Amino acid sequence: MLKNYFKVAIRNLWKSKGFSLLNILGLAIGLATCMLILIYVRNDLSFDRYNKNFARIYRVDADIIFGGSHLVLAAGPDPLGPTLKRDYPGVEQYVRFHDRGGLMVKRGDENISENRVIYADSTLFEVFSLPMIEGNPSTALVAPHTVVITESMARKYFNSVHALGKTMIFNGSDLYRVTGVIRDIPDQSHFHFDFFLPMSQDDQSRRNFWLGGNFNTYILLRPGTDPATVASHFEEMVNRYAGPQVQQAIHSSLAELKAKGNNFGYSLMPLGRIHLYSNKVGEFEPNGSIEFVYIFSVIALFILLIACVNFMNLSTARSSLRSREVGIRKVLGSLRKALIFQFLTESILVAAASLVLAVGIAFLMMPYFNQLSRRHLRLGLFTDPWTIPGLLLLMVLVGGVAGSYPAFYLSGFRPIQVLKGKLAAGFRRSNLRNTLVVFQFFISIVLIIGTIVIDSQMDYIRHKKLGFNRDHVLIINNCYPLNDNARAFKAEVLQMSGVQDATMTGFLPTGGNRNDNSFFKSSSLDQNGAIQMQTWTIDEDYIPTLGIGISAGRNFSRQFHTDSTGVILNQAAVKLLGWSDPVNKKLYTLKQFGSQELIAYHVVGVIRDFNFNSLRKEVTPMGLFLGNNNGNLAIRINTNDISGLIGRVEHQWKIMAPGQPFSYEFMDDDFNKIYQAEERTGKIFVSFAIFAILIACLGLFGLTVYAAQLRIKEISIRKTLGASVSSILSLLSMDFLKLILIAFLVASPVAWWAMNKWLQGFAYRIGLSWWIFLSAGILAIMIALLTVSVQVIRVAATNPVNALRSE
Amino acid sequence: MIELNNISKWYAVGGNRNYVLRDVKFSVREGEFVSIMGPSGSGKSTLLHILGLIDEPSEGYHYFMGEAVHLLKEKQRSNLAKANIGFVFQAYHLIDELNVYENIETPLIYHNVKGSERKAMVADMLDRFQIVGKKDLFPSQLSGGQQQLVGIARSLIASPRLLLADEPTGNLNSRQGEEIMELFRKLNSQDGVTIIQVTHSEKNATYGKRVIHLLDGKIEKETQE
Ligand SMILES: Nc1ncnc2c1ncn2[C@@H]1O[C@H](COP(=O)(O)OP(=O)(O)O)[C@@H](O)[C@H]1O
Ligand SMILES: [Mg+2]
Repeated sequence: MLKNYFKVAIRNLWKSKGFSLLNILGLAIGLATCMLILIYVRNDLSFDRYNKNFARIYRVDADIIFGGSHLVLAAGPDPLGPTLKRDYPGVEQYVRFHDRGGLMVKRGDENISENRVIYADSTLFEVFSLPMIEGNPSTALVAPHTVVITESMARKYFNSVHALGKTMIFNGSDLYRVTGVIRDIPDQSHFHFDFFLPMSQDDQSRRNFWLGGNFNTYILLRPGTDPATVASHFEEMVNRYAGPQVQQAIHSSLAELKAKGNNFGYSLMPLGRIHLYSNKVGEFEPNGSIEFVYIFSVIALFILLIACVNFMNLSTARSSLRSREVGIRKVLGSLRKALIFQFLTESILVAAASLVLAVGIAFLMMPYFNQLSRRHLRLGLFTDPWTIPGLLLLMVLVGGVAGSYPAFYLSGFRPIQVLKGKLAAGFRRSNLRNTLVVFQFFISIVLIIGTIVIDSQMDYIRHKKLGFNRDHVLIINNCYPLNDNARAFKAEVLQMSGVQDATMTGFLPTGGNRNDNSFFKSSSLDQNGAIQMQTWTIDEDYIPTLGIGISAGRNFSRQFHTDSTGVILNQAAVKLLGWSDPVNKKLYTLKQFGSQELIAYHVVGVIRDFNFNSLRKEVTPMGLFLGNNNGNLAIRINTNDISGLIGRVEHQWKIMAPGQPFSYEFMDDDFNKIYQAEERTGKIFVSFAIFAILIACLGLFGLTVYAAQLRIKEISIRKTLGASVSSILSLLSMDFLKLILIAFLVASPVAWWAMNKWLQGFAYRIGLSWWIFLSAGILAIMIALLTVSVQVIRVAATNPVNALRSE
Repeated sequence: MIELNNISKWYAVGGNRNYVLRDVKFSVREGEFVSIMGPSGSGKSTLLHILGLIDEPSEGYHYFMGEAVHLLKEKQRSNLAKANIGFVFQAYHLIDELNVYENIETPLIYHNVKGSERKAMVADMLDRFQIVGKKDLFPSQLSGGQQQLVGIARSLIASPRLLLADEPTGNLNSRQGEEIMELFRKLNSQDGVTIIQVTHSEKNATYGKRVIHLLDGKIEKETQE
């Protein structure tokens, strides 16, 4: 019996090759896309799970409201970890990370710049599962001047993983002994470091300074400990330890501060939530976002649904061709059950063929998808024990779901109807099919609108006036090694042709150093006049080089000696301070933590706000201070011979900083990097949306083929009566256009709601104007018309006599 | 074998009953060869479908092989039909996707006949109809007469007691038609298969021993050879 079904199924598929191909291809593309998305989402959801103690690890985050700024940190003060372990028995262990920048690592004669460097407590390996190939995890990070490196660093610097006991030279002359080689940190980790340096060497880690926040602190709870219980002690801990230090620093008690709307608190962030839910200040790497996990999962489901709907629609549309078979089989004694079974066998067969094709397609698309998503995803067909059973389940599910409707529908034909010639009864007047087509286009239109909105927002960000000019700015990285030569180097560069201006500082709008501090309007340090703002150290060429606008007062000048205690504020700071005439007003800050000594700064000028964060956030208050910071040299260039200029700059570098690595970037590239993650996700969305639309079109194409086939006689008669191709086109497309219009009316408000929600995440965003919706609607209609007309023109162009004669 | 009692069939058309069969009453004994004649639209096919248990009358009593068909459930009815009735159509109604051999074999599959047995039975049938050479061809590769031979072979493969044929020669030329009629006669006389056929041809009707004339859904008259 099964053999008979298979035979008929295969011959049926073969007989209508075009249809089968459409069906299999549509389903395969749907399955392949769905597979990729699921792999991506699964990858996202499995971050940090390589840790054996995954469920017991928490990061302690600081949440500080002070001077009008709300700081949500992924880090805490240096005493936080040790105190928690000492005071609360539920805390089994802690480990702190302190990011103190990169290293120059010597290999042969060259110095290589390494940025994945972190100071960590020796307890690192008790908390995180970082398998050590060589070395003793419990002692590796105890002594100063030791380093634990990853396998690939061992290979890079020693050509072998066996690096234990070897010596490395950092920053030109510091000698470090390798005390451990660990496996490379898995892709699915929220941090990726290559060099672990011992915390014992970091003096800041012993300051006992509760008002800082530079230590990413992780705690391991004892099994069975309720994190909420641990968190409930935080307030008491703050009062006991931070309270006195606050009192000493600003002569005000914690209670008074809190009464004025300030806050000083901690919270626990489960390790499992960091990658998808945490986007705080001081994260090690830009994290993913749960929104996109949801969005992608929904898209995957939609794509699969669209593909299944296609399958159902095409199969039932074809029912006219199968109904005779059903009738005959019933007369010959087949029961309905047997027919349902037969049709389900067929659809599962199609699903199986699609699945095989889908695996192939997914395999071919994977490299592109990885490039797009910057992941190292693999199909894991044989490595992951769940993949093959999962795929088989998907096959049966899709085959079953997609095949059940046609199966029940077709098997329900009464032979008497069929034998009496009501063959076409299946096609027209099918409300279900119309609903399904509406559903497909509803999804497609939502996705088209989403695509346009995401694309416009990305474009808006790319071209937004940021308040500074990021074009034609060359940045020489890490100029610290120039030391005393820094000023001379800048002067030399300024002499070069093609250089318009240059400024030396580590504080650049597109990234680099960030620093903030509290300032007060009065020397009494009254909390009411407090402001928390960015404090950037720049030189007098900063503002002209970056083309920042001055709205009041003037730029710094070396001619005014008093400018060393001057400050240039941005408009956001002035606004928060509530000054209408800020120039020459005074701001006070403590010279040093713990001391009583104040410094007074006078306002020299006010600059227009420029964006130095992601455009997701508003511009925050900022003060610029005159000083010497050799972080980078930013050069405004006005030449087309960029490589020539870089060559000359490098030549000068080699003279003034011999043996030090020279590297450069362009400011607009840096800017783009900030949005790379966003753009990537946007691009992934757009690609998937295109696939979804493509699959919907395949289905529509199939439906038109059958609509046209069923009406070929009518079309032929109309043609002999003189109907034009366009009138036939409108005859056939009218039905579909009506459905698309309904889909559009339903999709617009849904898309508006969803995209509005997404845009809320940006402080600077486009408006959702009507043209977006209109063009999405028009696009959908155009795509549909194009799909339909390909077929109609073919039908309309055939000689009507052929069709009529064959009847 | 068959007993029809006041069988009527109507379709509701705009609130009115549109009668296709009205108070039809006749019986057929085992081994008879009956022809049904009548103008187009007189209800011949409807009657045949009711006799074949693939259509139901709107009212009346219908007995077949001692069973009260009008009381049976759908499944019991189709089992009854499956076991006893073979159908031949004017339009042959072969399954296009199956070749000659497989078309003939299909009813046996639904009768749950074992594979080896099926093989023997189909081979036998192919032999009897002298279409062994055509067993691998598909319906589209056969002439009308050949297709109808396959259709008849298929209707007989499960050894039905009753053969129903709706204008079996309607699409064939007269020579082919005669061959089919001769076949029917042989089936009836030698194998004892009860045959009820619908035909338009006076000549073919004479192969039957009784001729029932239908007009507007009523039996107008019945002639006996
Ligand atoms: N589903 C239906 N609804 C209404 N009338 C029908 C239906 N099916 C058949 N008829 C009518 O029943 C009549 C008898 O049809 P049929 O038995 O096929 O006639 P015959 O085979 O004698 O030509 C025809 O007039 C036809 O119009
Ligand atoms: Mg008829």
